[in-house]
Amino acid sequence: MVSDIFGISVSALQAFQAAMAVTSNNIANASTPGYSKESVVLSAAAPQSNGTASVGSGVNLTATTRAFNQATNNQLNTSQSSLGQLNSLQTYTSQIDNIVGTTAGGISTALQDFYSAWSAVANTPTSAATRQALIGKAQSVANSFSRISSQLNGLNTDINTRITADVQQINSIGASISKLNQQIVVSTAQAGGSPPNTLLDQRDKLVSDLSSLIGVSTTTDTNGALNVFVGNGQPLVLQGTTTTLTTVGNPFNSAQLEISSSTAAGNVISGYITSGDLGGLLAARTQAIRPVQNQLGQIATAFSQAVNSQQNAGLDLGGQFGANLFSVGGPSATASSKNTDNTSVAVSIANVGALTANDYVLSYKAGAYSLTRSSDGSTVALSGAGTVASPLTADGLSIVVSATPASGDQFLIQPTAQAAGSFAAVLTDPSKIAAAGAVQTSAANSNVGNATISSGTVLNAANPNLLNTTSIQFITPTTYSVNGAGSFAYTAGANISLNGWQVAISGTPAAGDTFTVASNAGGTGDNRNALASANQQTQGILANGTTSVNGAVSSLITGIGSEAQQVNTAQAAQSAVNTQAQKNVQSVSGVNLDEEAASLLQWQQSYQAAAQALKIGSSLFQSLLTAVQAA
Amino acid sequence: MRVTQSLNQAQFLAALTQIESNLSQTQNQISSNLAFTTPSQNPVAAGSVNNYDQALAQSQQYDANANSAQTRLSTEDSALSQVQTELQTLRDLALQANNGSVSSEGHTAIAAQATQIQNSLLSLANTQDGNGEYIFGGFSTTNRPFALTAGGASYAGDQGQRQVQVAAGQTIADGDNGNIVFNQIKTGNGTFDASAAAGNTGTGVLGASAVQNPAAYDGGTYAVNFTAANTYEVRDSANVLVTSGTYTSGQSIAFRGVQVTLSGQPAAGDSFTVAPSTNQSIFTTVQNLVTALQTGTGTSATQAKLNNSLGNAINNIDQALAQTSNVRATIGARLNTITTQQSVSSSQQIQLKASISSLQSLDYASAITALDLQNTTLSASMQAYTLTQGLTLFKYL
Repeated sequence: MVSDIFGISVSALQAFQAAMAVTSNNIANASTPGYSKESVVLSAAAPQSNGTASVGSGVNLTATTRAFNQATNNQLNTSQSSLGQLNSLQTYTSQIDNIVGTTAGGISTALQDFYSAWSAVANTPTSAATRQALIGKAQSVANSFSRISSQLNGLNTDINTRITADVQQINSIGASISKLNQQIVVSTAQAGGSPPNTLLDQRDKLVSDLSSLIGVSTTTDTNGALNVFVGNGQPLVLQGTTTTLTTVGNPFNSAQLEISSSTAAGNVISGYITSGDLGGLLAARTQAIRPVQNQLGQIATAFSQAVNSQQNAGLDLGGQFGANLFSVGGPSATASSKNTDNTSVAVSIANVGALTANDYVLSYKAGAYSLTRSSDGSTVALSGAGTVASPLTADGLSIVVSATPASGDQFLIQPTAQAAGSFAAVLTDPSKIAAAGAVQTSAANSNVGNATISSGTVLNAANPNLLNTTSIQFITPTTYSVNGAGSFAYTAGANISLNGWQVAISGTPAAGDTFTVASNAGGTGDNRNALASANQQTQGILANGTTSVNGAVSSLITGIGSEAQQVNTAQAAQSAVNTQAQKNVQSVSGVNLDEEAASLLQWQQSYQAAAQALKIGSSLFQSLLTAVQAA
Repeated sequence: MRVTQSLNQAQFLAALTQIESNLSQTQNQISSNLAFTTPSQNPVAAGSVNNYDQALAQSQQYDANANSAQTRLSTEDSALSQVQTELQTLRDLALQANNGSVSSEGHTAIAAQATQIQNSLLSLANTQDGNGEYIFGGFSTTNRPFALTAGGASYAGDQGQRQVQVAAGQTIADGDNGNIVFNQIKTGNGTFDASAAAGNTGTGVLGASAVQNPAAYDGGTYAVNFTAANTYEVRDSANVLVTSGTYTSGQSIAFRGVQVTLSGQPAAGDSFTVAPSTNQSIFTTVQNLVTALQTGTGTSATQAKLNNSLGNAINNIDQALAQTSNVRATIGARLNTITTQQSVSSSQQIQLKASISSLQSLDYASAITALDLQNTTLSASMQAYTLTQGLTLFKYL
């Protein structure tokens, strides 16, 4: 009977000691990341029967369990993936926001200065100083385009570095998980099915870390091993083995790193990775950097084309047609590294107004070409045959294919991606600025009538006869001849076009009155071309003539701001979601010190009580001994 | 719900970081006086401000253009005002010489003065602006436009007229070419020019001439021939007789809507021509005047010839004066346009600046209220933290 008391008390002392150890361990790990609060499971030992009644035989510590809820934990992991994606995306959207947003030193200031410099040239066309200033402003426009472009390229390089680092870390976490899997399977089997809590905590912590790098999904096998999948179901960990992720060059651009899986045979799986830090990096590239680079390129292309063609239509101080002020890289077309032949594609701009800021993929399959937009995969209507005589045309582009490609060949067409980076001011000689119009008109002093001739505009600077001297002589007050030939009806104020120019004669001419249209080579004080150049500031030269250069810059700024704002808002919202998910997990698995203090007290008191029972047992036994001795 | 100390701590830190970041942004706004410093803070306003900035810069550029045109037009106007003074002096000299009592020495002296005026006019026609551009050269502003020749002056400029942008869609000429100002001056009365034939032997001197009936005037060339000292006939260019009559000195002869006055006594065979006005350079007019003055006046016939030449010269000088006035009137109109445009653009700029300011400038009242609130929140959360951190059961064990 007394031995029962001893046995029961000792079992209780052991159980409560263990319970206090578990509680102390909880307190010790209160700040350990990934630690799940543990608790003891006590059960009454099997009762012993003395024939009439059964008496309990003490307490057993049957298990130490961890407080863990897979569903809440999965929720946290998913939320962490989303947050990771938004965090890394935000890094880039806010950098772009800062790069483009600061108006001082930005493109729009440079453009304003450039057009003002044209006005200054128009005010004093012969002044070398104003011409030199214009060259300087042109240079700073080019600089601001290429500076922003190189900053964006810097971001791309940065993304490559971070992708490599992320992939390394993902692989190393994957390896750790597979190692833990092996240990968990072994120790679960050894301990007779009792869970190895610390190992499980560690593994869950690794999955959580992994999920902030890349979105994952997991399954647990019956033996306790965890399988981890990424992207579109590519395995990262299967039981005790790891499938590593690798970085490969983009088929169209080897300098751009993409993600591949060693099971995917070199196939790019970047498109499936949409969350986690890695997902954010990939999204930043396609969603934040490329559109800006393409739009900048579109602006640079249209701007340079407009300025240059006006330059080409006027005469410089030496009486020569103006030289190009800017040079800009044209569209690029890259064959996929997976193409099976060497067909190449040449792309040129047919209509700068119809140009968009998109990238395209040209595919050849089953004898037909198709063109899709890279941004959304939508198909663009294509016409032509791809030959020099009949190029493929779409969205302002003209595409010539060198030979019939193999079926399945793909080409990436980037109309404007390189434009901003390669944008340069190429004119350095101030006297080569074409401020003057190409032609000038005059009325003979011997004219008797009061008709006047307009100063003349150039319609087609490429006309080889543009600068030929043409005389318009009135045969009668209502008919005129051109260079002594023909007889044309005269309408006052109507345009007369010839050799690429256009003039208007108005008023009442007399028979014999003569007007002359000739080269303006000596007209160094003329500013018509400079005026036309300055006026381009407000002219629609993009988007089919609806958007001015500055308008395009404004909408670029608004677009970048909206994108950054949207990401900021989403990031803030996701942060809140993530905090809630953390709270949920912590409310299940976290260690509350007050609670542990109470447990500690509880176990202490239980322990003291059990010790007291032992003491009573001992005194019972002593009473018995005393009784026996006395007798 | 169970709350754990470690989560509490982390959340408090996160909240503190957020409050401090907001506080720093508000401080930044207050110190820069900008409602937003990156487009993401207000994307639409950032785009609009960029547009307004451009409109403002453009408007300021238009002002600069207008100032440049104003300077150039003022230079031209003052040159033309001097041209008028010179022409007026020349006209007075011609009138003085036309007086029969002036001796041949007097004519020589007047010729010398006229030559002086010729040189002054030349120098005025070659006026340069502040940038060294010849203002009367048309587009050819770097070449000296006028140079004296035996018959007047040559013109090396062209007929270009430079325009300056003073507002969106509005240009204004910043000068007039020398050909218009000095060369395209109509002879005679501006419609037709009456002149005496070089070989006249009588003393007939042309007086005032005018178009009496514009509807009847056909712009043809007519000859008034004296068949006898007191008989004249008018023939057209096809030598068809138009009219004829008897002549007395001081009589006006009218035909086909025109009227010319003759005085003195023409000799039989003398002829006078009525032809449509042509353009003649002012320099040619002065040169002709000087040549006429330098030719002697020995006989009454040569005196009549001089008088006819001087009469022509005075007519032509009057035309030149009229032309100069016309050009000056257009300059005045352009200067007026510029002044109007300047006041329009200055109010436009105020409007634009107000628009930019309303989008971009900070509302200090609300910013400072926000700053105050953020400050309060920060100190309250700090206090809350220290209070709750002390709460633990372990204290009481």
